[in-house]
Amino acid sequence: MMAKRGLLRAGIATECAGQIRCRELANSSSFCRKLYSEIEEVGWEHLVRLDDNLTFLSFRVLDASGRVHVMEVQVDKTYPQCPPSISGDVPYIPKIEWSATSRLKDAVIQFKKHVDTLEDFWSTLDDIDNSLWVVNPNFPCRAMCHRLVNIGNDCIVLFSINARSPKTVPECRFMGPDSSISPLRKAWSRNCKKWMQEKSFRDNLVCVFGFELPKSPDTEKDEQQLECGICYAQHLPIEDELGTKSGCPTDYQCDNANCRRAFHGLCLMDWLRSITTTRQSFDVLFGSCPYCSEPVAVKITNTRS
Amino acid sequence: MTSSSATSRKALSKIASNRLQKELVEWQVNPPVGFKHKVTDNLQRWVIEVNGAPGTLYANETYQLQVDFPEHYPMEAPQVIFLPPAPLHPHIYSNGHICLDILYDSWSPAMTVSSVCISILSMLSSSTVKQRPEDNDRYVKNCRNGRSPKETRWWFHDDKV
Repeated sequence: MMAKRGLLRAGIATECAGQIRCRELANSSSFCRKLYSEIEEVGWEHLVRLDDNLTFLSFRVLDASGRVHVMEVQVDKTYPQCPPSISGDVPYIPKIEWSATSRLKDAVIQFKKHVDTLEDFWSTLDDIDNSLWVVNPNFPCRAMCHRLVNIGNDCIVLFSINARSPKTVPECRFMGPDSSISPLRKAWSRNCKKWMQEKSFRDNLVCVFGFELPKSPDTEKDEQQLECGICYAQHLPIEDELGTKSGCPTDYQCDNANCRRAFHGLCLMDWLRSITTTRQSFDVLFGSCPYCSEPVAVKITNTRS
Repeated sequence: MTSSSATSRKALSKIASNRLQKELVEWQVNPPVGFKHKVTDNLQRWVIEVNGAPGTLYANETYQLQVDFPEHYPMEAPQVIFLPPAPLHPHIYSNGHICLDILYDSWSPAMTVSSVCISILSMLSSSTVKQRPEDNDRYVKNCRNGRSPKETRWWFHDDKV
């Protein structure tokens, strides 16, 4: 008898635990449903990562010039009462306006706006990364405001770009033997007022220092890699059918720092259009790099003008 | 019994023929081990000799692969078949058609004739029995009208061989 009652009690206990578990599941499944429908609103094709318990996700956000940025979102079970916390490859994080009725889409829109207001900052960094011998960071990094540049003659200069006014004179620190640095310092203090916002970063430096600056030794290597990974040519053939793209050099590079394969946007577009896993949102195709399988996004260009 | 595809073959596009010329040069400089390209002046159809790898069921056997390139190569996969006699293998039909995902759904322009050849040789090398696929007779009968293997809807069920 006792044994039976014991059993009964155990039975009730498991039932209670079961109820609690059910309630938890119901709560968490409404959380899942909400999150899924909000991701749907942003568009699954923009989703880069989603962890198992749905509290960490990241989206791909394209800026006005077609650069890809990654926005990371962290939510907890109190979402959407508490705003999600946002991070990303940006020099500073925007303040996200959030109310109880806000949705993920609103955060993504605000992040995209933020990324667009930084256009001058991105183009300044691109300019430095493409035209100077950058020693650090090793691969172009969008969130970092500094660039360590080898300007030849054993001198290295650390430039810090002001993300809020990137076209103005950058802050700089010189490193190297005193004998080479002191004339540089003098030239800098004498000429930095000649810095012109409309000139490229490199042209400004040449103007301030008064000598040509070395290019990255990798440039030569890069030029070999400028062959398109799809058609194997540097330039598209010259054909009327290709319209404005006739004879054009490679103009797309995989964003993955370990891949960096170059393509003609047109070849990549043709490839993405020929497979069924590609997704399209407005005039952008989302798929994966044929070489490394990391996400790629290309704007559709119309060759027939 | 060379499978002349039902769809009429169009000449290579300029992009396709540029790329193939580069692949051919690369092949001549650095041919994959166990393969020999039979020289012809036809860029659109390559015939390649395969030697079974030593120490495998196909050692000392020689087969011929026929590779046909579509107009928009490499956006589309090349058509690759064995010329008769096709090797006895659980994924190779007696009409020479090969059940290998990279020739169909998993093709990518990052692949080359050379990498495709290496995959086929590795498929041969990992085989443990010399036999035809179970559905060989049915499949081959269905292809009697000269259908291209690229028109088949393949099921890739076995990743061991």
